[in-house]
Amino acid sequence: MEVFSDEALNVTDSTDWLNTPLACLMPVEQAFRCHVCKDFYDSPMLTSCSHTFCSLCIRRCLSVDSKCPLCRATDQESKLRGNWALREAVEAFTKSRKALLEFAKVPPTVVAAPPDQNGSSSPPKRKATEMDGAKQEDQDIKRPRRSNRSTKTRAAQLTAAILEEEEDTNTTPSADADQDYVDQPPDDGLVACPICLTRMKVQQVDRHIDTSCPGSPEAAAALAAKRPTPQPIFPSLNSRLGQNAQTQNQKPPERLPALAYSMLRDTALRKKLSELGLSTHGSRQLLEKRHKEWITLWNANCDSSRPKKRSELLRDLDEWERTVGNPGASRIGMGMAMGGGMGVGQGPMARAQAAGAEIKDKEFDGKAWATKYGGSFGDLIKQARKGIKKQNLDGDEGNKKGEDGKEGGEKSSSPAELPTSQAREGEGESSSAAPPTPMEIVPPSSPPRPEQDEQQQTPGKARLLTEDTAMSGQVVPGTPEKGQWKTSSQQPPIAGDA
Amino acid sequence: MPVQFAAKRLGKELSKIQNGLPPGIELVSADDLEEWLLDIRVLDNNPLYLNETYRLKFRFSQSYPIEPPEVVFVKQADRPIPVHPHIYSNGIICLDLLGQQGWSPVQSVESVCMSLQSMLTGNTKNERPAGDEDFVRANKLRPKDIEFYYHDNSV
Repeated sequence: MEVFSDEALNVTDSTDWLNTPLACLMPVEQAFRCHVCKDFYDSPMLTSCSHTFCSLCIRRCLSVDSKCPLCRATDQESKLRGNWALREAVEAFTKSRKALLEFAKVPPTVVAAPPDQNGSSSPPKRKATEMDGAKQEDQDIKRPRRSNRSTKTRAAQLTAAILEEEEDTNTTPSADADQDYVDQPPDDGLVACPICLTRMKVQQVDRHIDTSCPGSPEAAAALAAKRPTPQPIFPSLNSRLGQNAQTQNQKPPERLPALAYSMLRDTALRKKLSELGLSTHGSRQLLEKRHKEWITLWNANCDSSRPKKRSELLRDLDEWERTVGNPGASRIGMGMAMGGGMGVGQGPMARAQAAGAEIKDKEFDGKAWATKYGGSFGDLIKQARKGIKKQNLDGDEGNKKGEDGKEGGEKSSSPAELPTSQAREGEGESSSAAPPTPMEIVPPSSPPRPEQDEQQQTPGKARLLTEDTAMSGQVVPGTPEKGQWKTSSQQPPIAGDA
Repeated sequence: MPVQFAAKRLGKELSKIQNGLPPGIELVSADDLEEWLLDIRVLDNNPLYLNETYRLKFRFSQSYPIEPPEVVFVKQADRPIPVHPHIYSNGIICLDLLGQQGWSPVQSVESVCMSLQSMLTGNTKNERPAGDEDFVRANKLRPKDIEFYYHDNSV
């Protein structure tokens, strides 16, 4: 599975911090991760029950069942509110994560450096690291003393330290750069440029040397003094807010309202889809799911600080369509089928068509299909064999159905393999969609018409039976396939919730 | 995106699992992002499960974690199916947590294993579910399909 190897390489996890000196960051990172996707929050949203999830995650969850994944309180998409403070926190953390982790994994060089206090004569590079080391030592010595002082002075000192730190994060390499390095905490996750000593992220160093490195620390200082707005190491809060405001101004996000699909006729739904510029192809169920997915993607994108372009969203939808979106391919589809959409307004024709599409689908759950309809297939084969001897019966419907069936089965080279040769989960559809399609091909030698007629009957019965057994546990008596169907769709005895 | 959704999430779970699991739970194999095997043991002295290890098979769909994984016990020479009023002798588990209704995307492989562990720990009945034989003989459906019917009936 190529996705696996790709993904496995890029997987970051809060456990990365274990076995490093910064193991204490593991819970910090955990707090920045969504409970659904286990990734860093992407556009975190607050639910009514005050839980936070990625916008896309919670919208997906709520569209399947309207409950908070954590506490199961009912909630609605429209009640979600952005958690922008968390978004900024996550952004800040993820930006520094890599450097922090690298720092944590490499044994700190500062410890190895000799604590030479009068470093003014030593080469610049060594000086910086030494001073860092010296500072750390200094702190180590001070710490016990500090804890003995009264809380008031301690608090004052801490405040001073915090102010100092804040200053540090906002200070940029300047004329008094050396001083800055000394004050900077050694675990800032940055590295010094080997030439000019400007501190920056590891991955920036190469580019910096190629392009903007002035050559020596003095030159860097001079350059920094000349430059009115040197590049900040961390973008300040204000500039970040400014950026956000800017992007938001550029694209005023307008969320799409959810539709009450049961209230919409097919034509109205198709119109809605085409108004959105989406495909109107496919079954009613697929249309609904496509519309729902688009709303989820779109609205989640509205919450993003860096909204994607419409074309990108369309690509996402396309990808969804090819994988999860296929009719009956997912439980989402089943849920909707259960919600009342099952077979509503669909004649046998429409169902047969849906079944054809379903089988063609690459996600087709052949195993489920085969077990579900195995008995029926067997019966149909028997009937077809008998039917060879019978008179041909006419049926316009049967002809059309035959076409659908061929369409559905054309992918398979060996008809007998059909039910298992294609993989796909098809629970929701299977109960509503009749199984004629593969059957059409199974007895290839037999004349088409009589068996088509048989088929016309069987799906109906089969469906009736499965639905009945599924919904009420009753078995319709007197059906020819009774024995088969009873076993294949029999429910387990209920053991109750554990 | 949905493909990545499931794959990413499973990748994260896997890397976490490889960093360690709670006592009594062990990863046996996770060769892809579709099927994983784990072993669980009951840690207390419950005589029903003493000195036994049970093997669990997880199967994930593309919609994981929005959809629950399929979780069953698998029988092997040294891995029996635990006796429990909610575990059929073919390994199928009747647990609302694993059904569409009881599942929540915040659950994970680890949390499911721990739930099953505690489900066994808390059990005192040395029995199979009612109708176990019939069910095991007649059932051809996959667990999640059964769950589907089951929950449908219970609603």
